Amino acid sequence: MRVINREQCIGCYSCMYACSRAYFHVASTKLSAMRIKNYSGVEGTFSIRICVGCPDPDCAKACPTEALTVRKGGGVEFHEEKCINCHQCVDACLLDALQWDPVTKEPLVCSQCGICATFCPNNVIALVEVNDE
Amino acid sequence: MSKILQIDLSAKSYMVYENDKLYNEYIGGTGIATKLLYDMHIENNNPYDEKSPIIFSIGSFNGVYPIATKTIAMFKSPLTGNLGESHAGGRLFMSMYDAGLSAIVITGRLDVPSYIAIENENVRFIRATSIWGQSALATERILRGQEKGIGKRSIVRIGPAGESLSPMGNVLVDTGRHFGRLGLGGVMGSKNLKAIVISGSKRRKMDNFPAFNKVYTEIYSKAVHSAAMKKYHDLGTPQNVLPLNKINGLPTRNFSQGFFEGAEYLSGENMSENYLAQQIACANCPVGCIHLGVLRKSFQDRIHYKTFKISYDYEPIYALGTNLSINNPDGLLDLLNIIEKAGWDAIEAGITLAWATEAFEKGLIGTKETKGIILNFGDVETYKKVLLKMRENKEEFFENLNKGSAYCANKYGGKEFAINFGGLGAAGYITGRDAFIGFLMGVRHSHLDSAGYSIDEKVVRGDLEPNEGKEIDMLIEEEEWRFILNSLAVCLFARKIYTEELVIRALAALGITKTPEDLKGISKKIHKLKYEIKIANGFNMDKLGFPEKLYTIQTSRGKMDRATIKRMIKDYRDRIASLLSVN
Repeated sequence: MRVINREQCIGCYSCMYACSRAYFHVASTKLSAMRIKNYSGVEGTFSIRICVGCPDPDCAKACPTEALTVRKGGGVEFHEEKCINCHQCVDACLLDALQWDPVTKEPLVCSQCGICATFCPNNVIALVEVNDE
Repeated sequence: MSKILQIDLSAKSYMVYENDKLYNEYIGGTGIATKLLYDMHIENNNPYDEKSPIIFSIGSFNGVYPIATKTIAMFKSPLTGNLGESHAGGRLFMSMYDAGLSAIVITGRLDVPSYIAIENENVRFIRATSIWGQSALATERILRGQEKGIGKRSIVRIGPAGESLSPMGNVLVDTGRHFGRLGLGGVMGSKNLKAIVISGSKRRKMDNFPAFNKVYTEIYSKAVHSAAMKKYHDLGTPQNVLPLNKINGLPTRNFSQGFFEGAEYLSGENMSENYLAQQIACANCPVGCIHLGVLRKSFQDRIHYKTFKISYDYEPIYALGTNLSINNPDGLLDLLNIIEKAGWDAIEAGITLAWATEAFEKGLIGTKETKGIILNFGDVETYKKVLLKMRENKEEFFENLNKGSAYCANKYGGKEFAINFGGLGAAGYITGRDAFIGFLMGVRHSHLDSAGYSIDEKVVRGDLEPNEGKEIDMLIEEEEWRFILNSLAVCLFARKIYTEELVIRALAALGITKTPEDLKGISKKIHKLKYEIKIANGFNMDKLGFPEKLYTIQTSRGKMDRATIKRMIKDYRDRIASLLSVN
């Protein structure tokens, strides 16, 4: 996933709603594997924190149990059975893109499916091809 | 989802209870708020009494479907003395939904200025004497830094206007959204309640996901890809400026005429081309109708610049632009910025300044009252001075202005040109009788009740034959349908998407079965309760009329005939009386 037009974001959170809806069947922004941040006193400024599918991801590196592994085609895969709920993956993500579910105490991993982009009314984010090599 | 959080500010205590029956009977939003307010019997309270409540409520579509972005507030209005109801967008509905709360009922008074932080079902009471006096905008910045929240936060707050108990005080919600018009800001001020910060961590799994997802996607797709919402996103509500001017329906110089010679400068087209910084949206609304304009000002030596982003809409453009004869968008944004910081309702402030200017012209007030200030239509710098003095609230005349046009007209005269209905300043339409009858008889005295202007416009366009009885039918029918939309707390801009058929289907996808007859029954019940509240609180249907000046002007439909208006008001009153007589 890539942010292609940050300045076009209107802060509607349709992307976050879409992600939570598609993967968890919830009507909420809570279980979204991405985040739109807004800033105090800076009217209309949004920052889009989305998994960019790092080739050598810091989150996977930080995981002490290899619960996160590099996924072919971008991003990481989550192996729930290995997760020890330590939060180190989320702390390691410099982009603040990797989200956390406080209920399950597990990371909310982006599948690079692009549904967030499908529900963006203003072409702010996009699913782009990356070279795996 | 029927949890109600009840907060007593005096005792600093709170409790949560469930009331499924209330939700089944009244759906949510305006329906349940009306019933809650009705049951609290506010008729013996002053709006600023300790026991006068503030009720916030959302409905079953909020947090679930797109463009269901409103939170309903109900209270006793210090402007009209009866039913106070305002709706605001932003993120408040989302934060209430995340907290798992359908309604919040606040009574009592804090011993010192404070704010409250609501996180799920917990409430903290925090002293805020240090931010009492801060602008509504600064308050948001400060509290966003202080309160981390447990999810997306919504910050609801007042400025100095509400603190000074101005009945024109509004409540700001997040960026550029407000509980406006009926004086909720003053009510919060009377409770020493500077702000409410709310967030939550709950989530709701949909029982019938495929059905829900289908309806969601349909609404989203209509909002983004059809023409239904285009005007709200593109030029926004200011797109009305030129069409209204063309039909002589744009209030100019305190409702003296419906044509403004400088309309082009304040048009949606000019504002977009030369002032629009960007559009932003309420949560879960892909439309983005909030238009932020840029005001760039030099200071000191003219090499320094400061830049403001100020939300603009049609109504503030009318109230502080055309109706004050100001054609300069910079001047308009400058006034709006002062108003936003102080936390007044923009329409009410504009109507009051317009009354003051005409009262000055006619000699009802003079430089003795204004302390040397000479009021002229079109004079931005003077209006700025007046607003700043109103915010200071120290000198008698400006303290009186801070109480609104109806109060001032009572004190100094000029009732005939104080353009308010039951105390509430008129919205921006000189389209004809239906706009004004809507203001007079609608439960909120607002253009949002029944959109009478749009019936007038149909007549002007030749799409509707004038017919007194039928026009009243249309006003009531529209208002009653809006009770349903307001109970689901859908933004009225999406009313073309949320048809009755879609509403029934969208409810069904959530497991709520309602027929068209059920909805009609609910809206009649809401209408009746609202009128009962109004009448018990002093709304007198035997003393209704328009400000005299309106009979002398040309509306889009020509001059209004006094006998016709009298007949139509009587007809409307009779229908309300018959509504009230049904058990």
